[in-house]
Amino acid sequence: MDVTMSYETQNLWTWWLAVYLYTGGLGAATLAVTFLTDMYLKPHRNLVIWGAGAGVVLLAIGSMMLFGHLLHHLAAIHILNPLVFFKKPDAWIAWGTQFIIWMMVWGVLYALPYARETPFLKRLPLIGKVLEWGLVIKICEAVTRFRKFVGWLAVINGVGVTVYTGLLLQSFPAVALWANPGVPLLFTVSAFSTAMAFLLLIMYTVIKDAEDTRIRLLYERIDLVLISAELVILFSFYFYLKRGSESAMRSWELLFTDFGWLIGFIGFGLIVPFFLELRGVVKGWTSHVPIITASVLVLMGGYLLRHYFMYAGIYAYPW
Amino acid sequence: MTHYAMVIDLNTCVGCNACMAACALENQTPVWDDHKWRTYVHDKEIGVGNSVHRRFFPRLCNHCDNPPCMSVCPTGATYKKANGIVMVDQDLCMGCGACAMACPYHARVAITYADVALGEEFYGSDYRRSSPSMDKCSFCDHRVEKGLKPACVETCVGSARLFGNLDDPQDPVAQVVASGVARPLMPHIGTRPNVFYIDDLKWRG
Repeated sequence: MDVTMSYETQNLWTWWLAVYLYTGGLGAATLAVTFLTDMYLKPHRNLVIWGAGAGVVLLAIGSMMLFGHLLHHLAAIHILNPLVFFKKPDAWIAWGTQFIIWMMVWGVLYALPYARETPFLKRLPLIGKVLEWGLVIKICEAVTRFRKFVGWLAVINGVGVTVYTGLLLQSFPAVALWANPGVPLLFTVSAFSTAMAFLLLIMYTVIKDAEDTRIRLLYERIDLVLISAELVILFSFYFYLKRGSESAMRSWELLFTDFGWLIGFIGFGLIVPFFLELRGVVKGWTSHVPIITASVLVLMGGYLLRHYFMYAGIYAYPW
Repeated sequence: MTHYAMVIDLNTCVGCNACMAACALENQTPVWDDHKWRTYVHDKEIGVGNSVHRRFFPRLCNHCDNPPCMSVCPTGATYKKANGIVMVDQDLCMGCGACAMACPYHARVAITYADVALGEEFYGSDYRRSSPSMDKCSFCDHRVEKGLKPACVETCVGSARLFGNLDDPQDPVAQVVASGVARPLMPHIGTRPNVFYIDDLKWRG
């Protein structure tokens, strides 16, 4: 078919979908990392409370973004039903919704015994009373007995959410920037990188426990590896887009000629934190400020990545 | 078996937009919004200097055999009938828009709560829609079931749109498609569309 093509971006899924992808990935990865830390490195009540809290709150924010933009809110009931798997096993949103729901459920259950030991939560008006219910005490006993089983259920669903955020975009075949296997990889790495940054921020500014030095150093090292991996994936995206189809090339033109992407995301969101954390790991810092700065920059970069990805997707229309 | 398909001849489309009007009234689409047509005729000038051609390019849902809109639909609202027509169940659709993002042919439109309210005013008691959803061409399934042609085909003054059964070797649509004269849009994406176009440019200039 000899046609003259038109190339267009879309205005249906914009910044709010970027927020959904960002908070979803960040919240789920934070929950998974804190639970794994608690299960295998060091039992850490504060970290689990922050991880589960962030998981639930961030996922709720992201889910509300999507829910608020639905055309028919009541019909969302169809996707909340776990049996949706049998009906639509090929739809990533169906998987993602179930991952989000069950991650929240297992996440709250895992954190419940710790919540009963947390003075701040016990002092809260409603939550404090709920924590003293007989049913809640019995659930806590059961969770304590099957702690790792519950923890792994939460972690598996959490990892599922992070991968899903990329698979969702990958399932749109018309856009070269999205429909490739690099996207789930990039979004998963980015989700865990932002989670590390978020946890470092919390540990340096809120928890401030001197005994956490080993965990913080481990998180810094992992984040360093994740940022490096993200840079390598972006490097391959650069050439995939630059030498790809017309849709890919136009996405390349949008991304790699934009200062927000080049300086904002790649510069301040990846390269600057990489060197700050590298210096921290190799020589150490006398102050926490550089790592806090690096964490804030990584968190900012995580959102910019998804924001630019949504706006730079190019459709090639044959008219 | 029946496998419905449409052939659009770009040589005979005169850009009268009667197909858009017929479709809108037949399917009660939001005519008050210029971006919400089930079928739309693009008007484009191609070429430079004295060799400029004006091309009218009708587009609609391609009723793909491998529809990405169906696979991404989380509730199962988008489904494919045995006769090849891709449909939307309005009651199941929550309007997430994933289908619109997945469609390479820009065939999806969003019907909002405001559109439903306006539709009740505009179309009166005959209005069939009760809830918002994503919307698209259905090849006028309700007409096809009665043995009629889609409204856009019926009304086309240039006979630019042909509708038929690909599985019937005697059907003109099946013959034109089999001859290779009519070809699908962007087959490399793997959607296996069932709307085919007869090119106009190679016969001009």
